[in-house]
Amino acid sequence: MQREKITNRILTVFFTVLSLAWIYPMVMILMNSFKQGTAITTASAFDPVTAATSAGFANYISALTKQGFAAAFGYTLVITLTSVALILVCCSMCAWYVVRVNNKFCKALYYLFVFSMVVPFQMLMFTLSSLADSMGLNTPYNICFIYLGFGAGLAVFMFAGFVKTIPLEIEEAATIDGCNPVQTFFHVVLPIMKPTYISVGILETMWVWNDYLLPYLVLDSTKYKTIPILIQYFRGGYGHVELGPMMACIMMTILPIVIVYLLCQRFIISGVVSGAVKG
Amino acid sequence: MAEIVLKNIKKIYPNEKTKKHRFGKKAKEPEKKSNLQVTDEGVVAVQDFNLTVHDREFVVLVGPSGCGKSTTLRMIAGLEDISSGDLLIDGKRVNDVAPKDRDIAMVFQSYALYPNMTVYENMAFTLKLKKVDPKVIDEKVRAAAETLGITQYLDRKPKALSGGQRQRVAIGRAIVRDPKVFLMDEPLSNLDAKLRNQMRAELIKLRHKVNGTFIYVTHDQTEAMTLGDRIVVMRDGFVQQIGTPQEVFNHPANLFVAGFIGMPQMNFFPATLVRDGASYQLKTPKFTVDIAPDTCKKLAASGVDAAKTDVTAGARPEQIELVAPGEKGAICGKIVVSELMGATVHVHADVNGSEFVLVINTVDFDKSKGSSFGIGDDIWFKFEPDAVHLFDKETEKNLIQA
Amino acid sequence: MVKSLRKWWPLFLLPTALSFAFGFVIPFAEGLYLSFCRFISISNPKFVGVSNYVAALSDPQFSHAFWLTALFTVVITVLINVIALAIALCFTRKGLRGSNSFRTVFFMPNLIGGIVLGYIWQILINGVLTNVGQQLLALNTAAGFWGLVILMLWQQIGYMMIIYIAGLQSIPSDYLEAAKVDGATAWQTLWKVKIPNLMPTITICLFLTITNGFKLFDQNLALTGGAPDHSTELLALNIYNTFYARAGAKWMGIGQAKAVIFCILVICISMIQLKATQSKEVQQ
Repeated sequence: MQREKITNRILTVFFTVLSLAWIYPMVMILMNSFKQGTAITTASAFDPVTAATSAGFANYISALTKQGFAAAFGYTLVITLTSVALILVCCSMCAWYVVRVNNKFCKALYYLFVFSMVVPFQMLMFTLSSLADSMGLNTPYNICFIYLGFGAGLAVFMFAGFVKTIPLEIEEAATIDGCNPVQTFFHVVLPIMKPTYISVGILETMWVWNDYLLPYLVLDSTKYKTIPILIQYFRGGYGHVELGPMMACIMMTILPIVIVYLLCQRFIISGVVSGAVKG
Repeated sequence: MAEIVLKNIKKIYPNEKTKKHRFGKKAKEPEKKSNLQVTDEGVVAVQDFNLTVHDREFVVLVGPSGCGKSTTLRMIAGLEDISSGDLLIDGKRVNDVAPKDRDIAMVFQSYALYPNMTVYENMAFTLKLKKVDPKVIDEKVRAAAETLGITQYLDRKPKALSGGQRQRVAIGRAIVRDPKVFLMDEPLSNLDAKLRNQMRAELIKLRHKVNGTFIYVTHDQTEAMTLGDRIVVMRDGFVQQIGTPQEVFNHPANLFVAGFIGMPQMNFFPATLVRDGASYQLKTPKFTVDIAPDTCKKLAASGVDAAKTDVTAGARPEQIELVAPGEKGAICGKIVVSELMGATVHVHADVNGSEFVLVINTVDFDKSKGSSFGIGDDIWFKFEPDAVHLFDKETEKNLIQA
Repeated sequence: MVKSLRKWWPLFLLPTALSFAFGFVIPFAEGLYLSFCRFISISNPKFVGVSNYVAALSDPQFSHAFWLTALFTVVITVLINVIALAIALCFTRKGLRGSNSFRTVFFMPNLIGGIVLGYIWQILINGVLTNVGQQLLALNTAAGFWGLVILMLWQQIGYMMIIYIAGLQSIPSDYLEAAKVDGATAWQTLWKVKIPNLMPTITICLFLTITNGFKLFDQNLALTGGAPDHSTELLALNIYNTFYARAGAKWMGIGQAKAVIFCILVICISMIQLKATQSKEVQQ
């Protein structure tokens, strides 16, 4: 017993140190985001901010105004919200239909969905972006249909997994109570699936928010830049790199994520776990 | 007012696969279902079902799992298509009428309460869908809750209720609709034994409070006997017998019904029925039983007139009495097991290799303790007159036609 | 109910099915076809048979990328899973203080996107390299490879750890108590009780790390971009560069052929992986 306590104490100390190391990369970016552009070099990356090197919030202001971070944030937000909402609504309905009707077409479709989860994006990147172009799905406001199509695999798979656990009797009771299929879905099935909506929502949000290649290829990136595109653009060899504003952009990208994560940690972790276990 | 007529109702599942899918939970016991008739069209789950359920009658469909009783109920509810035949409610053919328009309510085995709604919302849901005035809904829900004693749980979610309470909510949900017909699919089988007895008694009270016709499905013969005005015994999709509990118990139509109804099970033994003029005798190598004159008349009336007929004879354990050793016509067995159930003792006695179960009042059993009944001891008994049931060895049908 | 539901397909099925057709099925089929064609845009492909595949397979950069990806995947799969499982075992100990906060911290990097991660680590690693007098990432193949490994560890250990913790917590405590009663040591309990019961979880984690490693793109692009001279270029990035960074009409078709090969590889790995570990799962 005594030995266990000592081991636990040693482990606590060890993990405390490791945790600090774990967040150090973010702390480092935070420090550098307050430095003047000239003070950010590879050699001085680890130096703390001093009065001489401090730029105050200048980098942040520059990122927001001159570098287009505000617009990028807005586009990313629009794309993420519309895409995830569309995926949640359409895929849950589709999954319910597929599981309950379960005829040959539904089965084939379901296997296609599962198959699509494995296929790497590179397989379709050229054809998908050409198709999106020709169909006019290349703005932040309608790229959500592409996301719905490409993200349907995981979402339908997860929803279908859950629908299979819903007892049929509940839906039959709804039928007898006078629901038509649409009412059954929205009054009865949808509320039961709430935990799955949260899981799928979190997974799809993480994907869409951070996605780089799909929007880069599909969107007209001179007009519309999402956050990942903007950050890549800084380094893409387009002339002079302004390191200060870039650090500020990175910080402003991470910060909302960290805040949301700390606020709804429980949901995010359980959502990610159930996504992994079912995927 | 509701009279339900089932005319030659048949259910055929096109192939094995669809059947499994539609059955869901019941697919767990596929071996038991293998006795179902398979035709070119598929598996026949219900064969030529004919029944008229009168207004305010309580009919129980009973049988082992996979006998088609639930399928029949689901066809009446409209959850299952009717392959052929007619279903009439109050004289109107409703085969193609949607469940909600059949004016029925159904209580499911798993209660099927909506987990996201409170008890109140669960009960009010169907009326809300019909756009009934909220005041009326409130009245009806509260009245139903009062009847069932669940008023204090109205704001709870089903998760926070015990099995018995959930069952009441499920029944309450049916009551608020004020339907013509109540359909119940094994509503008590998820409850523990004590609660089940209690709810059974409450169901009996309930049916007198609400005006409705009940069709109730169960695999439990006790429920069937105690609840039903009439019982429909089913097996492998075929109706075996339709009758009042007394009829089914006292005059089972065949060997299956005789064995299925009654607890403990009826004792069966092979024997030969010997006719001597107007009287009959039942003969086995070990003992002979005189058939009661009443039964003899019925046998003669049913046209059993061969000098010798091979039969399977049956006698209910409760209709066996202990007699003094060596009495004329008495049967001697060796005690194998004796189980004290409380008021009665179930004695298993071995007679010439076949086992008989005797239900003896504990009082009588104690009295006869003087002659010491222990395992391995001899026990002398006799069938009560009229208590012997005779079944054709081949067709398994009761020799006495009703 | 099913009968009445069936006719509602335009509402329930159509939106997703249609988007799926345009977002996956058609591009996939078209991509498959284009891999046998010479093209610069989708409108005028010219059928050229398997010559794209021949060119793809004889491209030394492609085979270099393949072996690098294989090595990378093996390294991160082993490291991530061993470390994540070890941490998960520590965090499920009784009486370890602060394990919840540690969990929060370790999981956090997983939420940050690959591009951002790549730049964070580029800055960090370049800083370290300068301070120890080594060449920067742009010129340093070894640092590029191991930098990517460290980046992946940082991002994925927390994720796998969470899954392992969930797996460990779902082992019925009866088993552990039975092992204790039988006098098993902590080491024996780990190997004879915990690991066998954890096999389904291990399958999932292996599957995830291997496919994540194989499909890795954003981090690779942002950290080194393949520099120096394509030497740290993984398969996905190689395909991307074949498509968009090389001049000449033939490269589009070759890129598409590479993508098909890549796709088949990923599918095969997923299937082998699942088959191999599923057989070891404990039957309950």
